[in-house]
Amino acid sequence: MVDRFRSKPLELPDPEHSFDRVDLVFYDVDHSGDSFEARIFIGAGRKLGRDAGIDHPAYAGSFYVFGHDRCYGEHGHCEVRRDRDDFDFRLPHHLEPTVRIVTVTDAVKRLLGAGKRKAAVDVIARDPQGKALEALDFSKLRLLTYA
Amino acid sequence: MATAAPSPTRAAVRLRHRRSARRLSQGQLADLREAVRLAQGIGDDRGYQYWAGVHGLPLPAYCQHGSEIFLPWHRAYLYFFEKALQDRVDGVTLPWWDWTKDHQQGIPPAYARARVDGRVNPLASSPIQPSGRRRPDERRTWRQPGDPSWLPSPEEVRAVRRNRDFFTFQNQLENIHNGIHGWVGGTMGSIATSAYDPVFWVHHCMVDRVWYLWQLDHPGARLPRRYLDLALPPFPMTVRDTLDITALGYDYAAGTAAVPGTRRG
Repeated sequence: MVDRFRSKPLELPDPEHSFDRVDLVFYDVDHSGDSFEARIFIGAGRKLGRDAGIDHPAYAGSFYVFGHDRCYGEHGHCEVRRDRDDFDFRLPHHLEPTVRIVTVTDAVKRLLGAGKRKAAVDVIARDPQGKALEALDFSKLRLLTYA
Repeated sequence: MATAAPSPTRAAVRLRHRRSARRLSQGQLADLREAVRLAQGIGDDRGYQYWAGVHGLPLPAYCQHGSEIFLPWHRAYLYFFEKALQDRVDGVTLPWWDWTKDHQQGIPPAYARARVDGRVNPLASSPIQPSGRRRPDERRTWRQPGDPSWLPSPEEVRAVRRNRDFFTFQNQLENIHNGIHGWVGGTMGSIATSAYDPVFWVHHCMVDRVWYLWQLDHPGARLPRRYLDLALPPFPMTVRDTLDITALGYDYAAGTAAVPGTRRG
């Protein structure tokens, strides 16, 4: 778990081809702990502060995690089993990681308009009161463009 | 099977209307308060504590978040809770909190005032049963709302409604929903306890209403067959059962009238 993340530079859509929409998709997002906001900045540069607000020029959107708080069961209750077989019709475990989709079309268009072809994504996790929170955990980030 | 449009054969059959929490008449609000107050006074599986506990604590937590059945499960949940309230006061319906319009006051006044007519307002807070508490001293619900200007704009919700794919729509609507749980804070900020706060129901009613509006926006939207027959425990319903709200006996329209069309029979 971390309170901020910086990606390697992601290739932006080819400005020669028109597009309608760009989404950032976060895979396997953990939601087992506290609720938090993940603020997303694209192409912010290395000087981005932890308290950067939604008025920052690189702000692209947020995703929100509604957390389970902590485990209220006994030992093993919140362990997600990976060995489900084809005949297991139970619903997935509550703590199965989730996916978050954030539409960032305007932010990407701004970057392309400024001549950028690649940009890093910064994600800063904050609790509802705005304090940094080490709650961010996901497996993969993709930038998807829809024409 | 299409996801949506209200059934023409059921549209005029004694539907009950869910209304904006800001537009309830004094009588409607009084009935709602009385239904919730009476439910809060019942300790068995007809009562408020039981229904709040279905969501999180005490275990098992049945709610579905970050899953494919977030919207259908919560539609079923609201349906059964509303039925429990109607058992207390006939005709009462859950109102919705339009968080895209309440950027001056935030939580609707009917749910924010701590006392009404000299009594504790049952819409402002609720006791939490011992098995539903995160900590032994969390005996009542509490809130820590943020700045109302933060709440989502109509354009943010319209952008989510423009999604043509149900699962992307659901994901992005759940994201807005998550942010509002955090914005209200306190008891509402945790899956374990959120449903004990009376504002939970008015918040989720808005989420359900946005889904309904999306269904009207995209009448041809289809869902995978395997998805339709998924069960929504502990409710005796499948996803398919939740797709048409008029079949569940309610509507978000301000009124309903229907006449036969050109086809007979």
